[in-house]
Amino acid sequence: MSNDILVITEHMDGKFSDVSFEMVGKAKELANAWGGQSIAVVVGGGVSSNVFASDSTIHVDDAALSNFNPEAYGKVIEALVKEKSPKVVMFGWTATGMDLAAWLSAKLGVPCAAYVKNIGADMTMSCQAYGGKMSADVSPEGDMAIAACLAGSFPVEAGQGSTAATTMASPVDLGSLKVKFVEAIKPAGGDVDITSQVKLVSIGRGIGGKENVELAEELAGKIGATVSCSRPVVDAGWLPRTRQVGKSGLKVKPKLYLMLGISGAPEHLEGMKSAELIIAVNTDKKAPIFNVAHYGATADLFEVAEAMLELL
Amino acid sequence: MNIVVAIKHIPSIADDLPVSGNTVDFDSVDFVLNEFDEQSIEQAVLVKEAVGGTVTVVGVDMIGELDAVLHLALAKGADKAVKITGDDPAADSHTQAKWLSEAIKGMSADIIFAGVQASNDLDGQIGPMLAAYLDMPYIGGVSSVEVAGDSATVNKEFAGGVGAKYEVSLPMVVGVQASVKPPRYAPVSKVRQVAQTATIEKVAPSGEVSSGLTMKKMAPPVVTGHAEMIEGSSKEVAAKIVELLKSKGLA
Amino acid sequence: MLTLVEKIIFILLAITAAGFTFHGFKVIIDSIRKGRPAPELKDVPGSLVKAAIAVLFQQTIFKARKVLSAIHMGLFFGLITYAVVNLVDVLEGLVPGFELVYGGKHLPNAPTGLINAFNLIADVMSGFLLIAIIVFLVRRFILKDKALEYRDNVLLNPKVKAGGQARDSLTVGVFVIMHVGARLMSQAYRLDAGADPFMPIASFLNSMFGASEVGVHVAWWISLGWVMFIIPYLSRSKHTHFFMSPINLGLAKQNPRGQLDPAIPLKVIEGQKFDPGAKQIYDLAWTRVMDAYACVQCNRCQDVCPMNFAEGAPLSPSALEVNKRYLLKEATFGSHADRLLLPLTETVISPEAVWSCTTCYACVRVCPVGNEPMADIVDIRRRMLIDGYEIDSGVQNALQSLATNGNWMSKGKRLRGRWAKEMEFPVKNATEEPVEYLWFVGDTASFDERVIPNTKMVARLFNQGGLDFGIMYQNESNSGNDVRRVGEEGLFEQLVEQNMAAFGKAQFKQIVTTDPHSFNTLKNEYPQFGGKFEVKHYTVTLLKLIEEGKLTIKNKLSNYKVTFHDPCYLGRYNGGFTAPRKLLELLGVEFVEMPRNCENSFCCGAGGGQIWMGKVAPGERPAENRIKEALTTFEVGRIANPTYQKTQLFIVTCPKDMIMYSDAVKTTGNEGKIEVRDIIQLVAEAVGVEEPKVAEAVPSPA
Repeated sequence: MSNDILVITEHMDGKFSDVSFEMVGKAKELANAWGGQSIAVVVGGGVSSNVFASDSTIHVDDAALSNFNPEAYGKVIEALVKEKSPKVVMFGWTATGMDLAAWLSAKLGVPCAAYVKNIGADMTMSCQAYGGKMSADVSPEGDMAIAACLAGSFPVEAGQGSTAATTMASPVDLGSLKVKFVEAIKPAGGDVDITSQVKLVSIGRGIGGKENVELAEELAGKIGATVSCSRPVVDAGWLPRTRQVGKSGLKVKPKLYLMLGISGAPEHLEGMKSAELIIAVNTDKKAPIFNVAHYGATADLFEVAEAMLELL
Repeated sequence: MNIVVAIKHIPSIADDLPVSGNTVDFDSVDFVLNEFDEQSIEQAVLVKEAVGGTVTVVGVDMIGELDAVLHLALAKGADKAVKITGDDPAADSHTQAKWLSEAIKGMSADIIFAGVQASNDLDGQIGPMLAAYLDMPYIGGVSSVEVAGDSATVNKEFAGGVGAKYEVSLPMVVGVQASVKPPRYAPVSKVRQVAQTATIEKVAPSGEVSSGLTMKKMAPPVVTGHAEMIEGSSKEVAAKIVELLKSKGLA
Repeated sequence: MLTLVEKIIFILLAITAAGFTFHGFKVIIDSIRKGRPAPELKDVPGSLVKAAIAVLFQQTIFKARKVLSAIHMGLFFGLITYAVVNLVDVLEGLVPGFELVYGGKHLPNAPTGLINAFNLIADVMSGFLLIAIIVFLVRRFILKDKALEYRDNVLLNPKVKAGGQARDSLTVGVFVIMHVGARLMSQAYRLDAGADPFMPIASFLNSMFGASEVGVHVAWWISLGWVMFIIPYLSRSKHTHFFMSPINLGLAKQNPRGQLDPAIPLKVIEGQKFDPGAKQIYDLAWTRVMDAYACVQCNRCQDVCPMNFAEGAPLSPSALEVNKRYLLKEATFGSHADRLLLPLTETVISPEAVWSCTTCYACVRVCPVGNEPMADIVDIRRRMLIDGYEIDSGVQNALQSLATNGNWMSKGKRLRGRWAKEMEFPVKNATEEPVEYLWFVGDTASFDERVIPNTKMVARLFNQGGLDFGIMYQNESNSGNDVRRVGEEGLFEQLVEQNMAAFGKAQFKQIVTTDPHSFNTLKNEYPQFGGKFEVKHYTVTLLKLIEEGKLTIKNKLSNYKVTFHDPCYLGRYNGGFTAPRKLLELLGVEFVEMPRNCENSFCCGAGGGQIWMGKVAPGERPAENRIKEALTTFEVGRIANPTYQKTQLFIVTCPKDMIMYSDAVKTTGNEGKIEVRDIIQLVAEAVGVEEPKVAEAVPSPA
């Protein structure tokens, strides 16, 4: 047993995600306080891994790891964890981390906390629960624990550095995998990139139907903005995936984020909370979005949008 | 093809959640089907409609009210329903996954569907844990599934329309983010008809495991800020917003 | 008097015609009998007599189109007279010496007075008939009255589209002109002794053409020979109406308007199992199969349909009935029996039209012959839902939420009473302590932030009036009125059971509702599920409080000029016309009535599940049209009195109306000219209740 913390970082197209740095920074703070080491783990190639402030960085590279493959990545991480037996293994509670954290927990019989927002020196993990309606403090039993951390929980800067990575081959045989990566799926071409927009008019379930999207488009057109949305709008097929803001969509940081009919599930907040000016219109005065927005109004989005169109 | 759907019955977050001690007061909340499980049931039925087979829906009965959910699943096209008589509203994901894996072992499942996540997955989701307990591969965040022979092609979503296509030799566990088509509506009369005729297989919980987490505190999150609320009629709100945008050079 | 050969030909013709006619009606009756059992009809002979009286006085057509209805009346009396006239003419042809001109002077012991009276009536009626039929032909073929046409997007049987109905009209029109004209001529030719003062028209013709034995024969044959062809033809055309509409009216719906027929017939038939609702034509109740034969396609229903009015909506209740008859005709008289198995959504009404209906009942109400196109639409919806037809996503969301949360707004059950907990006085929970009035609040009034201020005002006034009332908090579920009308019968039953269980826990004397839709189903449909309660709309309860002096009007609101919109489910369905008007009178406002009021009120467009629809037909919406109607109504007053400066209000008594019309005022750009208010706001102002000035506490974080 050690007091080390293993951080499973994640990258795509040669870039590490913010949550990787966030976790490394937190891991360093905690591990050093415990007299242990923060170890950043980079799986897969095509990325420069000397970018973390961790005490050490392990970079596992193998042809079978060049694209995310939950089976291969899982095997590699399992082996590393067994070898290092750290006190904490940190994953991002992200599209990739969500495939691995709970799997590893069950595989190794190690406790796992998900939706982690903070980790205390006493290993108390503060987690978001019930769609953000609750906050739970849990403490893991035993010598090792897995923490799957929400993006945006810790500062990015603390994890940035230049620790030289030790590159190694896969510690396990990756010859006979059941999961085969076929190809990457890129967003349908031709659509706008909402992450580069200065102004977004974002719509949620409250928009009611595909036909009403036009109203938002019209309003956006008037102020030179682009229409984005929350997950339910995409799931219902009213807008393409490329317009989705949030955990499973895109992270945006526009100057203006005007929200119509979005109640503000944590997954959505994750994608937009750093927007400079957030204005939310929703009929439910208790919608969680009002805890995050700068300005809010309990009103009918259609009425407000139509009235705005007249004034603009 | 033996298609299995593992579901979770969870406290509804449509209501305010009362707390009792260190947990949600399970006596005064309604339990509902995890919203991602609705997608996963639909995806399972779509696979069955494409390649044939039977869909078995299995879940842990947390408060003795799972029948209604199972009947709904049967009305939507599932063929068999199994409930694990857990009767513990506080059973965590590890416990549920263990019980589910024991129940599924005898089903010779070719493909297992689970919702990608649930709002009470404090100790992780049941999908990847099922995969670990049953020693199958797992892919989550899946938005389309096609089965051909003994392999499945799934699309996994990362973010913003970026994703990847995988080919997986069966059996496997799929964590469904969204089904290819929105979940169908099951008329209540059909559900009620099912309720009268269908038999739900009862299975006693088997296998023991713990999440290893101790709950120390559960409370509504501390709110640090609140929006400045614009009062008045919709017209006044609109005027105020436009004024605001103009003052900041945004309109 | 015909020759022997002529007599033989005529009798052979008559026998053949009778055979074809008998066959025609047998086919029709067999077809009607294939429909499903209808709700039990009580006292059928009595109803038929009542219908006969209504037909005789033409009562039911005058609900709309007064002038044309008067002409129809002339046509009707003319044809009735002609039934007797034709009989007499046949006798004149067959019986030697039988002739009625000149008071029947050749007949031994003739009752001269009676014969002269008959001659006069027959002569004058012939004139009326000719005028009436010419007016109708001019209307259809020269003026081309738009009311007789269908919009392009309405599903029509190809034969209808090709002008089948117009051909029917022309055939019968030409027949009537030939028949009546020839009959007049045959009488004129008989006048061999100059004018008969009791036959002015025939005498006039006689003065022009003289008398002629040959002419009598020719004219007789033209007049009566035609009849032998036209009578069998009638059973195969839209003019089956002549015979079927009185019967249909006699067998029309007897249950309350607000009670839909069950999705599966209540009557159990050995060895027959019914699926809910209607897919094919014989899935309809036999009374509604008969509707097709009674309909003459006058299109009065189309005139009043709020969705036909709306441009773009492909619904016409009359097209539904026309298509039904053509489908039946092609299958029973033609060789296309296979078409009976086609879904009604392909043959009779398009799926889009099915989902456009607001179930406002205007079509059924206005129909002179007792047809129920709306009931067919609901039955078709029922089966579409069962068969897994992909429904509008908005409706699906609403239904799913209703099934899980008991409300259509995806709100948690426990939030239903949240508004009540915010009140400055405690609102009783009727499921925990006895109350006199159980207030059934409804979804919109409970959850919609735009309507909640009005809900709270109702509570304050009830409280101030000393009413012992309570609500059921989370035990209340949506009443199911609109759920049933969307066709989700199973969900409706589930909601009824939930509410019945809640009522079972409560102790109360009567139910008061804010929402007319809830009012309707609680009053008319819950009794079938054992829920026999006294149900009142809040306008009635408020009126009672004021009349009993428990609420006192302190300020007369003479600065308001108001008009009132009758909600379908309060007014047309349940006759709740007086209480709101009485209230307005007591409040001292200046009241003007819109042209379409009471029974003839115009739907706001929200009912029957329309408020849930994600998809809205393009063009002017019913609510927008209604707001314009109100403004025009006010304008009339303004011209009469150009100096007035009153605030113009559009008064509603339904939470859905509040939303629909507030929206319509904005979309028509009439803010500032007219304001939509719930009647409760006026009562509060007059009685002197104000909302507490203290701002509501900042909501605690979720």
